[in-house]
Amino acid sequence: MIVVERLVKNFEVTEKKSGLVGVIHSFVFPKKKIVKALKGISFTISQGELVGFIGPNGAGKTTTLKILSGILFPTSGFVQVTEYTPWNRKPDFLKKISLVMGQKNQLWWDLPASETFELNRAIYEIPKKVYKESLEELVTLLDVRKLLTIPVRRLSLGQRMRLELIASLLHQPEIVFMDEPTIGLDLVAQQVIRDFVVDYNRRHKATILLTSHNMDDLVNLTKRVIVINEGGIIFDGNLQELVKSFAKEKIIRVYISKKIDYKNLQKVGEVKEIKIPQITLSVPREGAALAASELLQNFPVEDLTIEEEPIETIIRKVFKGVR
Amino acid sequence: MKRYFTIFKISLQQEFVYRLNFIMWRVRNVIQIFLIFFLWDSIFSAPNRVLFGYDRAKILTYVLGILVIKAIVFSSRTVDVSGEISSGALTNYLLKPVNYFYYWLTRDLSSKLLNLGFAVIEFGILFIILKPSFFLQTDFLVLLAFFISLAIAIFLFFLILFITSFIPFWAPELAWGAQFIVIVIISEFLSGALFLLDILPKAFHEALYLTPFPYLLFFPLEIYLGKIAGLRIVRGIIISLLWSLVLWILMKSIWFRGLKVYRAEGR
Repeated sequence: MIVVERLVKNFEVTEKKSGLVGVIHSFVFPKKKIVKALKGISFTISQGELVGFIGPNGAGKTTTLKILSGILFPTSGFVQVTEYTPWNRKPDFLKKISLVMGQKNQLWWDLPASETFELNRAIYEIPKKVYKESLEELVTLLDVRKLLTIPVRRLSLGQRMRLELIASLLHQPEIVFMDEPTIGLDLVAQQVIRDFVVDYNRRHKATILLTSHNMDDLVNLTKRVIVINEGGIIFDGNLQELVKSFAKEKIIRVYISKKIDYKNLQKVGEVKEIKIPQITLSVPREGAALAASELLQNFPVEDLTIEEEPIETIIRKVFKGVR
Repeated sequence: MKRYFTIFKISLQQEFVYRLNFIMWRVRNVIQIFLIFFLWDSIFSAPNRVLFGYDRAKILTYVLGILVIKAIVFSSRTVDVSGEISSGALTNYLLKPVNYFYYWLTRDLSSKLLNLGFAVIEFGILFIILKPSFFLQTDFLVLLAFFISLAIAIFLFFLILFITSFIPFWAPELAWGAQFIVIVIISEFLSGALFLLDILPKAFHEALYLTPFPYLLFFPLEIYLGKIAGLRIVRGIIISLLWSLVLWILMKSIWFRGLKVYRAEGR
């Protein structure tokens, strides 16, 4: 469905120095610099997959999405999306895809959203019957019936984002690229969008590739994740495997019955939190069982659990590039 | 074709959104028409005065004609294109199976239709109130040539504006400055919007006719006024058509180069 091989994208940027003298200097002697946004990444995605694309800011996530949707030309490499090369922007290709961006809007600002929908119907040449069904489905799922006739500029960000989603999906794309779809939304609105994405993926067997900084998005939505950092892929696989390969520690929680000398606990593992009667320790993965038995033998332990590190902590490490 | 009709409709709706703004804009136009009328009417108050081959009726037709043709040719939504390129809003269009030029040409035409409609009403008011002596062209062939030259003028201006709008692909901060120079200074100055091009020295005048600019305003109006005829009309139409072709090819090639360096910025 989507094939990417050795994709490279370089940007040329002019360096701007700060301060008045610096500004004048760069005006007279502009200094060009090549920024390597993507350093030869490769991956494939099959039909119907819902893949999360994660990495720190500036890692190259959005650049990849923009190349896959045909907006940017790559510097080199091979890309095929369905049977098309994206940047040729063939109308048949464009009818099959959609790019949803949390911070870009296509709705006409001064007019009600229904006008933009009508325009998209004409542009994508959606048959009347399909359009009606499609609109009805989306409007119901996202619960926006009352918002259709209100000028877009009077809507809140969350309301607008839902309507943006409809505008992007009216033509029932087979492949949807989503760039930070929940950015700036409150928790309820985020959940609405997330539920919708899962539902859309199931109903239409659509292939969805989404980037997000929101850990809940990734945990709740995707099975497979691709981690990108500094223009290269550092992990591609199951979310559970990602946890394994990045989780070097386990969390042990003990409940004690009597006061103890906490200093002795340090010998067993790193004390993360003390909240009598609960104490949280972090220990190396391999030594977890040993540490647990040590605790049971030497301390007045009432109860004990061994847990994985929370996924948020792991992904945070991934974002930081810690391995 | 149907999609462009829908674009036409929604574009027209957009024009009416800001009611007060719209009314103010039309009021300004009416005032402008009256001012220009009184100015030239008093200059030519002496009967039988002829300047540069224009008598009273023709000069009034000229200055008012310039207003109408300018309203048709220069009124344009396409001025937004450079902003869309530098802000990255262009991305929205690149994602859709729609031709960006035809999209804007359609939006332009809807804007022009609106302008023309109101210009007709406003001039109607002028005629009813002032009953000016006005030169009415009745020769069918001349009128035909006039409308052809007007269509070419619209297209030429669209191309010039579009090409100028591509500058932000390479220099995002230049969006407005370049447009100002090309549109306000060059196009208005050299198209006859500010003064009669006949005033210029003959050689300069002739040379100007090899550029696309006089074909934006002055040439159609000259045809209407019957100042030029026959071969000169044909020659002018051929030159302006050639320019259309050259600018079209130029625009296409710059567009594709621009897309290669386009960064889809704005986030």
